[in-house]
Formats: sequence, structure tokens, C-alpha cells
Amino acid sequence: MGIENLAEKAQILMRSRLCSPNFIFKPLSDSSDSNYSKLKFIISSSIIEACNNSILLLGPRGSGKVAVLELVLSDLLEEYPDTITVIRLNGLLHSEDNSALKEIARQLCMEHHLLFSKMASFDDNSQFMIAMLRECGLAHKTVIFALDEFDLFAQGKQRLLYSLLDAMQTVTSQAVVVGVSCRLDADQLLEKRVRSRFSHRKLLFLPPSKEDVQRLLEHILSLPMDSSLACDYAAEFNEKLQSILADKRFKEIISNYLNSNSTTNHLLRFLFIAISNMELKSGFLSLENFKAALSSIQRQPKQECIKDCSILELYILVCMKRLEVREQNSYNFSSVMQEYKSVHDSFPTSDYYAQNVCLRAFEHLLQRELICFTDNRGHSQSIEFRQVKLVVSYAELQEGLKSYRSCPVSHSHNSICF
Amino acid sequence: MADTPKKSTQSPTKKLKKQTTSPFSVSATPQTPQTLDPPRRFSPRLSLKPNTPQEPVSPIEKTTKDSLKTPPNKLAEAPPESRAVSSKTRRNLSNNELKKTPRGEKDNGCSKTPKSKAEVLDVEFSPVSPDQSETKKRRRGEEKEKERTVMTRAMASKKKAAKTDKMSGKKRVYYKKVVYDGGEFEVGDDVYVKRREDANSDDEIPELEECRVCFKAGKAVMVECDDCLGGFHLKCLKPPLKTVPEGDWICGFCEARKLGREVQLPRPPPGKKLARTLRDKLLSSDLWAAHIESIWKEADGSYWFRGQWYTIPEETSAGRQPHNLRRELYQTNDFADIEMESIIRHCYVMNPKEYAKAHDEGDDIFMCEYEYDIQWHSFKRLADIDNGEEEGDDSDIDEDWKSSKDAESDTDEDVEYEDEKVKNLQSTASSAHELAANSRKGKFFGLQKIGTKRIPEHVRCHKQTELEKAKAALVLAKLPKSLPCRNKEMEEISAFVKGAICDNQCLGRCLYIHGVPGTGKTMSVLAVMRNLKSEVDAGSIRPYCFVDVNGLKLASPENIYRVIYEALTGHRVSWKKALHLLNERFSEGKRNGKEDDRPCILLIDELDLLVTRNQSVLYNILDWPTKPHSKLIVIGTLSLSLSLPEYLYMGIANTMDLPEKLLPRISSRMGIQRVCFGPYNYQQLQEIISSRLKGIDAFEKQAIEFASRKVAAISGDARRALEICRRAAEIADYHIKKLSSNHNPAPEGKGLVGMSEVEAAIHEMFQAPHIQVMRSCSKLSKIFLAAMVYELYKTGMAETSFEKLAMTVSCICTSNAEAFPGWDILLKVGCMLGESRIILCEPGARHSLQKLQLNFPSDDVSFALKDSKEIPWLAKYL
Repeated sequence: MGIENLAEKAQILMRSRLCSPNFIFKPLSDSSDSNYSKLKFIISSSIIEACNNSILLLGPRGSGKVAVLELVLSDLLEEYPDTITVIRLNGLLHSEDNSALKEIARQLCMEHHLLFSKMASFDDNSQFMIAMLRECGLAHKTVIFALDEFDLFAQGKQRLLYSLLDAMQTVTSQAVVVGVSCRLDADQLLEKRVRSRFSHRKLLFLPPSKEDVQRLLEHILSLPMDSSLACDYAAEFNEKLQSILADKRFKEIISNYLNSNSTTNHLLRFLFIAISNMELKSGFLSLENFKAALSSIQRQPKQECIKDCSILELYILVCMKRLEVREQNSYNFSSVMQEYKSVHDSFPTSDYYAQNVCLRAFEHLLQRELICFTDNRGHSQSIEFRQVKLVVSYAELQEGLKSYRSCPVSHSHNSICF
Repeated sequence: MADTPKKSTQSPTKKLKKQTTSPFSVSATPQTPQTLDPPRRFSPRLSLKPNTPQEPVSPIEKTTKDSLKTPPNKLAEAPPESRAVSSKTRRNLSNNELKKTPRGEKDNGCSKTPKSKAEVLDVEFSPVSPDQSETKKRRRGEEKEKERTVMTRAMASKKKAAKTDKMSGKKRVYYKKVVYDGGEFEVGDDVYVKRREDANSDDEIPELEECRVCFKAGKAVMVECDDCLGGFHLKCLKPPLKTVPEGDWICGFCEARKLGREVQLPRPPPGKKLARTLRDKLLSSDLWAAHIESIWKEADGSYWFRGQWYTIPEETSAGRQPHNLRRELYQTNDFADIEMESIIRHCYVMNPKEYAKAHDEGDDIFMCEYEYDIQWHSFKRLADIDNGEEEGDDSDIDEDWKSSKDAESDTDEDVEYEDEKVKNLQSTASSAHELAANSRKGKFFGLQKIGTKRIPEHVRCHKQTELEKAKAALVLAKLPKSLPCRNKEMEEISAFVKGAICDNQCLGRCLYIHGVPGTGKTMSVLAVMRNLKSEVDAGSIRPYCFVDVNGLKLASPENIYRVIYEALTGHRVSWKKALHLLNERFSEGKRNGKEDDRPCILLIDELDLLVTRNQSVLYNILDWPTKPHSKLIVIGTLSLSLSLPEYLYMGIANTMDLPEKLLPRISSRMGIQRVCFGPYNYQQLQEIISSRLKGIDAFEKQAIEFASRKVAAISGDARRALEICRRAAEIADYHIKKLSSNHNPAPEGKGLVGMSEVEAAIHEMFQAPHIQVMRSCSKLSKIFLAAMVYELYKTGMAETSFEKLAMTVSCICTSNAEAFPGWDILLKVGCMLGESRIILCEPGARHSLQKLQLNFPSDDVSFALKDSKEIPWLAKYL
């Protein structure tokens, strides 16, 4: 086998690792302090002891809340086959009580091979749910409700949560409600009656520490020695990897990258790009791959937008900025045009455009969200008369102008003088 | 229940029955004689096709006469000491024996002793009393004769039965109780049923169980082996036992067999066959047991009953499971019409609770915890076990409800059974006609499919530790036996209810109960209603009907009409129709039947949810009590007093000022009567928790006090206090289990839940985790937050814009030799923080115009970030 072939295999292996949460979170779940074992203990003890529980998983996005939950659920499904029914809801899809209940009924029907009717009313569905909870409790089956984006369920009258949690106040039912939310104050959103029925177990998911990141990198990137990959290739790969991981520059890249966001998911995204950058010819990861990944992922979209603007668009932006510097807080296209004229008068250049051309450029800027309307009112008004505002800040504009290659002198002059 | 409120219809007929001591409902209904199905059995092992025995069998007659017994609960009252001595009766065949607790025993399928194969005992036989750590006493002696108390009633029923017999002529007549062949059989009894006609021909039923060693019955105390169920005289054992051992006891044979040795059982003396009791036969599937559902007399004079079969574990698809007890039966959902002839005698099938308590009540006791679905081959816990335990009168309600319905039509039920059968057939035959499970016309379809194929082992064989017991006791769902600390309020409520019901003046009234969540409002009302229910049963109060609605479970406020109407009449109509009908009933005083005349107590939970824009729902509901009552009082005749409806409303709401929020016309109708449920103080909370934990040694005393003080200071919500304690127990349990799984010796005496666990639980419940998140968030986020605090101090304004903040951040970065990450990344960081609600911010599309604000006090941020090792210079800006 050529090295390219091997490298491709290795690449596929690593990519598939990155995409499976099981692989990523399994090694972190051994210790007793890990959220995995805590969550598993809570759920499995409520299965064994036949009690009801409600748990909140909190933490910033990308910290692996759902991944750990799924890991626990799949383990429990293996451990207690056909005693667990998992109902998955997402706040973005089912935040409305009616649709949520319908979805619960549908999934319950699916799980137990019952016939589901779309026509059933809210009452029917909620009574069906309660009846099912009871029946499942009697059959020693636990129903686990996994509510993703839990905070979105905590809106309005919260009938769903109330009826769910109230149904759990009976002895016969056996259910676990797991809420997943990135809002730290998710339990404060609950209505007081609902909150009183909630059992307030909270698990906090935090981004991995520096040591954990290091371990994770090793875990993901090093190749197994016993698989179909040639042993010597894997050994060499791992050796090179070790040297990269120990490299100071590599550490800098990683810490630079994780400065903005240190969650696991964020790291995985970076690694994915780095691995995709891997050169198949050489067959090994190199520091360059990571560097390229960093530069391709850390981008400044607004500044790049400015770079892409035409001269006229830049004129308009500069004019708007001049207006704002003069503390003229409300202005529209007409006043921008006046400013444009005055600028052009003081620095006459060859390119002076007619108003309709300027309007086109103005619309373009609006679409690119470099400028925006100050309010949502006045939809009936034509664009020229609606008040606008600059969205990019002065410093960004200045930066953009500086790096603009073919910027006319007057522009840079303009921008510097205010 | 979301919308169907619990109904407790109290049939006046029942009360009447009690007073006149007529023991059965005299209801003769015309019924076309239908072809009877032969008793259906599901077991594939059945080789013989059973059919109803036609000819009377004499031995059965004898035994049925002989085995007349009182229900087991009567016997339970008998003191155990007196039992072993008195053994005069010949009639009572069974021996007393102690029962094991349903948990605990784990038998490995050791089957019954082979009786025929027993060989000469040449090995020294020595059933050692096994040295088990937790042994329980069991004893087998002669059962004391204590029955025959119901004889007179039985006779009466017999006579009555005969009378109605003539009355009804050619129709089917249903009875509640029948004396047949000297045995008294009541609906709800369990009986042995002959499996085939010749069942009794081969051997007769032994009168008393015989000792396995000396093969004599005798009067001496016998002990039962938990494994093979064989009986042994205490003196026959080697070494002989003085007393019945506590806990499980296994005979020497089973012991030896378990160890893998060949065992030879003592052989009966020549000429004497080892007799098998009915229990033996049942457990070896030579007999059946059934639960009597209804008894009737056919037109031709033969007595029949509809029985619900029991099955033994071996006959289920899962077979005998390791955790099954020897005396365990499953109830099936299979019914059959059986002729009374085939009944042998009574047996007693108990739920685990009773079974655990039953010590020496004879040989014919069995334990039944599960229902077995013969179509789906699945198990399900019997529902009424829990209910019966929690609310002692639930079953009464059911019976009442049924009996009052029965009075209307007996045919209905039978038709229903038929329907069911047909439906079952349909569902198995063609799934095309299956009905959707979640839409219902009165009931859901297909729920019988749910059930476990095997009963999970962890449910039965799990030995609870103290901590687990404590956790189970603290579960919110578990209703406590008594409600501590709410006596005053409960008295108030019950006085109010009684005052309104007992008045012949028919006073419609409102009571308004308020208090913070978790202070036991609903629970107290329900407890009061339970007490009243028992008083109704005792006959001291007139019956009433009770409707329970929860405002939060209604799809819309108007739905309440529908729910109330359905609860009162059982019919489902649209809410407009329901409103019309209810108006007719309540304001115009139109009554349809006798049932309508009862006062109606309507409990509305979460009353505030009924407030609509024009408040018409509340208005109607609160208006009804005032109406009929004023009208009828003007008429004011005493004879009508019974039919005077009295409506009583109770609203329960958490908002204290509900009357003030309402329109004046409603608040005037609301009345002045209020009961306030104040938040619990810490002593009360402590009492509540300790009362639940009585007898469980899992908590340190200070820990409970700490938890209750904390909760009392914050909300006074009992649910919170219980949850904190449960969580604390969980944390302690977690630590212990983790330690033991890591093979570390668990530290002794650490089993108690202490202050640290409670503190952790409280922290988890009440503290937002923002400080931890701030500490562990990324470097830029920390700088971002520090800049926000800095900005806040500098300007004094809580709100800032992203533009200003970015300037500050870039200043901070440059002065501390930190690379400024760029605006767009900074914006992303801000949005991430906004997602976690550490800061409040506008959507990121606003970019530099975005407004930002800290969501937590700046001190929290300073506290969290002050000593960060990563960026020590951050402290300067805090």
C-alpha cells in the first residue's frame, strides 16, 4: 500500500472520530466527577428505584451536553433493554404546547407500536400521555423526556411542563425529564408552580481545561497501532504527532484559537479543518496544516466586506461616518448625498456619480449589512427617506480603508482627518 | 389526569344497602340467553381441552363444604400465640404458615419435591437450620377456628337469592353473593377451579398438609420451606427447632440440592401416599385459580360465574423467572364463564403488602403483583395495589361507581365484555381496523400492548440500603400517611364543606384557598375529601359528588365546562353545549336523574388560569352557586331539601390578590371566606421531613434542620425541602457507590447524610452556576467581562454599546501586551456570553450598535475573575 493510501485511511479514521460524540466524550467520562457518571447515576437510580426526577443540563453551547446525554442514554438502553422509552423534543421545534404534546404522543405511539392519529386534540394527547405514563410505570418502563433548548419550553403558560411535571407527582408514573439549555438561568424562567414541581438537579458542563484539551488532542489524533493501518506507518505518524503536540508554536496556535471560545465543539471544528488540510503525499500531519486551519477559521467578515466594496460604496460609508462624527444622529440617503456632494466639492475627483447610481450602491451596502435602518418602522417609505445608521465601527472602517489597495488619496485623507 | 377530573360518585343505593344489610344488589335485567364460551385457557401446554364440568362431583361438594373460610383479613387479627394450640376443627385443612416477604427471596427454580420418586432414606437426614444472616420466623401450626361470623348474612343472601329467583323467572339473575354447596362465594373472591373433571378422581384432597419427614399431619407447629414449600414439624427437624426461625428458612434438602449434592427425600411409610394439597396441584398446573367477577343464575337454574384467570409463572411465555416466589400467581386478562360446579373452594390471592403481613393464614394464600397479558405475553403491575395503599378508598369508589351503574343495566357490562372479546379478536386478526391510540372516544386503544416481556430483576430482588429507603420516602409523589402541620387549615376546610353539605338550606358557597406553591393546598383539600368520603360511607353525611379540575391542564379556560360536564354525567360534548347544559342544571335547576340532586363540590386548582379577558368563565362558575340556591330557598320546603343542589366551590390559587384582580361583579360573588396556607416555617418543614424519614436512619439531625431552615428562609415550599433532602441523600449515595466501585473500603459510619451533602444540594438548587462558568470560560470572554465591569465603573451606566466596549477591550489589550483579536471575533465572544445570559445583549446583527448589559452584579464578575491565573493583570480593571 502506498503512503497516500494509508494517509487517506488515517484521514478518514480521524474525521469519523471527530464526528462521533461517543468517541470524543467516552474517555472523559470515567472519573466520578464527570458529568457522564453523575448523569448516569441519577437516571439509572431513578430507573431502579422507580422514582421521578428532573434534571437540567446547563453549559455554554458546544460543551457536549447533548452528546453526553446521548451517550448516557445509549448506555442505559443497552443496560436495561426495553425498559426505557426516550422522547426527544427540541424547543426550537416544539415550543408550542400543542405541537409538543402531539409530538410526545407520536413518539410514544411509535415506541410502543401503537397507531397514532394526527387529529387528536390537545386534551386527548395530554390524557393519552398521562395514561401512557401510568401504563409504562406499571410495566416498570421508564420514560425519559429529553428536552433540548429547554429555555424555549419555559415560555408562556408552560402547560406542557406543568402537565409533565404534575403527572410525575404520582407514584405509578416513572419518568425522567432532562432539560438541556445553554441559558444558565433556565430554571429561573420556570413559572413558580412549575418550578415547585421541578426537582432541580443541575449539571454544569464547562469547557475542558488545558490538560483536558491536551489529552483530547492526543486521543483524537493518534492512530491506533493494531488496526488495518500499517504498524510502522502508525508508529511514525504518532511520533511526528507527538513532536507537533510538544511544539511550542503548536501550543500557541491552539491557545490562540481557544482564546475566543474554549469549548470542545469549537476545538473539534478546528481539528477537522486541520485534518482535511493534511497533505496526502507526505502522509503526516504538519504544523502548517494547523496554521492554515487557524487562518481559515479566524476570519473577520466585516472587514473583508469593506475590502470588497467599490469606490463609490466606500465614499458613501465615509460620508456617513463624517455625518456621524458631526453628531448628526438621524440622517437618510438624501443627507448622505448632500455630504457626498460637499466632499466631492472640496476634493474634486474624476469619479462623481449620479444619484441613481449612488442609490444602487447604497442598497448594496444595506444588503451587505454594513449599514442598516435605524428602526423597523416606515416600511412604506422609499429607501431614500428612511433613516440609516452605520453598522461598522470607525476603527473597522479605518482599518478597512488602510488595507484597501486602490484607495484614492482623498479617501484616505478623508478618513484620516476626522 | 389532564381533563377528566376524578370522580367519586356516591351511590345512595349502597348506603341503603348497608342499613338494611341486604348483601347484594337485586337487579334482574332481561337478557337474551347467549351461548356461553367454554372456559378459555391460554396455555399452550394444555393437553386437555377443558370444558365445563356438568356432573356434580361428590368430593368437591365435600370439600367446598369443608373449606369454608373467612376472608384472610379476619384471620390476621387473631393473635398468633393462640393458634398453635387450638386445633379442634376438622374443617380447616390448611396449616398455618408464616409468609415470606415478597422481596428478598431469590429461588433458583428449585422445583417441588418429587413425591413419587422418593426413595428410602438411607442418608442421615438432617435439615440444618441454615445460618442465614437475616432469617425470619415462620411457623406452621393448626389454624385457629375463627370463622363462621358471616354465616347469617350468607343465609340471608341465600334466601334472598331464592326469592329473586322466582321474581326474575326466565332471565339471568346477577348476584353479589351466593351460597353454593355450603360455600359462600362473593364477587371479588378467588377460588380454585377444577381443571378437568377427573381431577379429583385420582386422589383426594388431603385434609392437612403432612410433614415431609414423619408424614403425619398432627397438630404440632410446622415450618414451611421457602424453596420447596414442604412442611416440616419443628421436632422432626435435625436438629429440632424450638421456635420458628425469623426470615427465610430453607429445609435441609433444598439446601443440599443447592450445593449440588444428591438428595434423597424421606419416603412415605408403606401404604401411605404423599397427598398433594390443592396448592400443590395449582402450582403444578393441575388446577386453576380464578377471580370471581360476577355471579349469575342462568334461566335453567344453574349458577355460573365469570372468572378472571390466574396463571402460574410456569405457564407464562417468560416461564418462571428467578425472582418469582413459589406462591406467586399472575392475574391474566383472560375471562371465562364458568359453572359454579367446578369451583373447589376458596383461595386467597393477595397483593404483596397483604402477603408480607400474612403470617399464618393457611395454605391457600398466593401472592399476585402483576397482570399477565395473554395476547402480548407481557407483564404489568396491578394498578390498584398502589392506589389501594395510597388512598385507602379508591377501590371503594370504583365499586360504588360500578354498582351504581350496574343498577342501571347489567346487560351493558356483558355486552362490553363481548365487545372486548370481539375487539381483541379483531386486533389480532386484522390490524387495518386498529384504532388510533391517542385519540379517544372515551378510552384509549392499544394500551394493553405496553408491558414488559419479563419482569426486570432489579425491581424485585433489589435490597434497599438505608439511603435508598430514605430517597424513596422523600419522593414527592409519595403521599404521606398524615399531613403534619396543616391541622388547623384542614379543620377549617372540612368545617366549611360540612357546613355547606349538611345544611338543608342548600348554601352554595365559595371558599378561596391561597398560599405559595408547595404548602399542601391541594393535598389538604384532597385529604379532607377523603375523610369526608369515609364519613359518607359511615352514613353520617349525605353523599355528594366531587369534581376536581386543574386550570393549568385545560387547553383553554372554556374547556372547564366540558370537563365539569363530563365529570358529572360522563358525556363528552362541546364546551358551548356543556355550558348550556350546566347552566340548565345549575341556574335553572333542571334535573335529570336522582344523581343530579346531590350537592356538588367542585375543586378548581390553579383558579387564576380561568381568568379570561371578559372573565366570563369565572363569572359563570362563581355565579352558579348563588343562583339555584336563592331560588330554592324561597320555595323552602323540607321535603325538597334532599333534592336541593348545593354547590360548593373552592378555588385554589397561588395569587393572593385574586379577588382584587377580578372585576367587582365577580369578587362580590367570590364571598369573603378565605383560607390562607402560609409558607411553612422551619420547624414545620423539619417535622414534615422527619415524619417521612421515620424509622430510617439516614440523616443527621442537623442536616435536616439546616435544610429546613434554608428553605423556610427562602420560600417555605415543602416540595423544595423534600427535594433538597432527597438530592442530599442522592449525593451521599453517589459517593458511597463510587467509592465501593473503586474497591476502596467504604468508610464506616459515613452512611449518614450530613451537612456537607445538604449544603451541596442547596447550592445546586438555589445558586445560579454563573460564577463557575465565568471562571472556566475562555480568555477573551474573561477580558470581555472585565472590560464590561471597567466600563460600568467608568461611566456609571449599566448599559453600553458594543462599539464602546470594543474600544475598551482594545485599550486593555494594548496596554497589557495582548493581541487584540479583532472586532468580529469579539462580537462572537459577546454573543456567546449573551447566550448563557451572563450578559444581556441584542442580537449580533446589530454589530457595533449592539447594546450590552451585565446580567449579574459586577461584584460577582470581580469575584470570579479576580484571581485568575491565566491573566493576572485582569484584577486591575475589576
